[in-house]
Amino acid sequence: MTNPEIRMTMDLPTPKTIWQGRLLLLLCSSFVLSNSSFCPAQQPEAIPAKKPATDGKVWGALVYATTDAAKLTGSTEKAPDSQKDLSSRLAKVFKPYTHFEIIGQHLQDVFREYESWVVPSRDLFLKIDSKGPAVGGGMDLHLQVWREQQVLVKTDAVLRPGSPLFIGGPKWRDGQLLFVLDLAKN
Amino acid sequence: MKTPSDENHDLIRWLDGEMTPAERSAFEATLKNDPELAAEAESMRQLSENLKAHLPAEMPVPHADFFNSQIQVRIAQMEADEAREGRKSAESTAAWLSWLRMPWLAGAAAAAFAVAGLVWMQTSPTGGASTIASTYTPNPAVHAQVFHSTEAGATVLMLDGLEPIPAEKKVAGFRVHHAESDAGVATTTLFDENGVVLAVVALNALGQPQVLK
Repeated sequence: MTNPEIRMTMDLPTPKTIWQGRLLLLLCSSFVLSNSSFCPAQQPEAIPAKKPATDGKVWGALVYATTDAAKLTGSTEKAPDSQKDLSSRLAKVFKPYTHFEIIGQHLQDVFREYESWVVPSRDLFLKIDSKGPAVGGGMDLHLQVWREQQVLVKTDAVLRPGSPLFIGGPKWRDGQLLFVLDLAKN
Repeated sequence: MKTPSDENHDLIRWLDGEMTPAERSAFEATLKNDPELAAEAESMRQLSENLKAHLPAEMPVPHADFFNSQIQVRIAQMEADEAREGRKSAESTAAWLSWLRMPWLAGAAAAAFAVAGLVWMQTSPTGGASTIASTYTPNPAVHAQVFHSTEAGATVLMLDGLEPIPAEKKVAGFRVHHAESDAGVATTTLFDENGVVLAVVALNALGQPQVLK
C-alpha cells in the first residue's frame, strides 16, 4: 500500500524547481527589458525576416473626414481601384462629413499564428490576429485599434471581402479620423 | 517526524520571511544540524536576493479585465456548443426521414431557398457582410457601437467618447507597400514600394507597440 504522505511529497515541487522557475522568469524579463523602450532608442533597420504563412490580405487606411474641402490636409494618397467608391460609402455612414481624404494606407498580409500590423499612420493603427478562415468565407480575426501606445478597442470580427469595416475614431481639427479595413479579394 | 515536504515548505517560508520568530529559531537550529539542508538554503537565499534585486515586487498584467472577460466568453461559447451537441444527438435519423417523405417538402424548400437568397443579396452583395462578435474598450469613458449599414455595404464600429487629437498635432500617413515580420524578435518592418524602410513596429516590455523612426 502506498504511503499517502510520500505520494504527496512526490507531487509537490521542490524549492529548487520553484527557484529555477523564478530564475527563468528573471532571465526572460531581462531579455524583454533589454529590447524595450527602457533601453536607448535605436535606429530602425530592415530586419531579415522569415516569411510566415498567411491567411489572406487586408487593405487598411486612415481617412480624414471633414465638411470643408478647404480644411483637407493635402494628402496625395489615392484609393486603390478596389476602393473607388470609398468616399461615397463613407458619406452614407459618417454624416455630416462630405469630404474624405486618405492620409495613409497599408496593404498587409495577414499572418497565420502571428500578429499582423496595419499601420497607415503612426498615430492610429491596427493589430490583427488571425483565427483562420471563417465559415461561409472571409477571415475570423481578433482586432485591436491602437492610438500610439493606447489600445482604444479590442474586437472579434469576421471580415469578408467587399464588406469593409469602418471604424469611427477620434475627432481631429474640425473633422474626424476614420479607419477603414477591407479584406482583399483573391 | 518531519518529512521532506515539510522541510521544503519550511525552507520556502524561511526564505520568504514568513516564519514567526519561534519558527525561525527552530528552523535555523535544524539548519545547523543538517549541512545538506543548510547548503541548499544558502544557495536559495542567494538566488532569492538576486531575484529581488532585479525584479520589481509587482508587475501589472496588461488588460487583465479583458483577459477575464474573454475567458467568460469562451466558457459561454463552450457551454452553448455542448448544449447544441446534446440537442443534435437527441434528434433521430428516422425523424428526418419522415420529414423527407412529406409531399409539400419540395415546394417549401424552394420557397426557403428563395427567401434566403433574397436576404443574402440584400445584405451582402459580394458574398456576406462582415460582422463584429464582441468589443471591449479598456477606457470606460469610451463606448463602442456596432451596426451594419446596408446602404454603405459596410460594418461600422463607432468609438464614442475618445479624447480628440489636438488640432495642432500633425497626423501623417504612410503608404505601406508590404511588411515583413520577425517572430523571433517581435518586430514588423514596413516598406514602401521601392523597398525603403518606412518604420519598424516593435513591442515594449508591456506589450505596447512602438512605431520607430
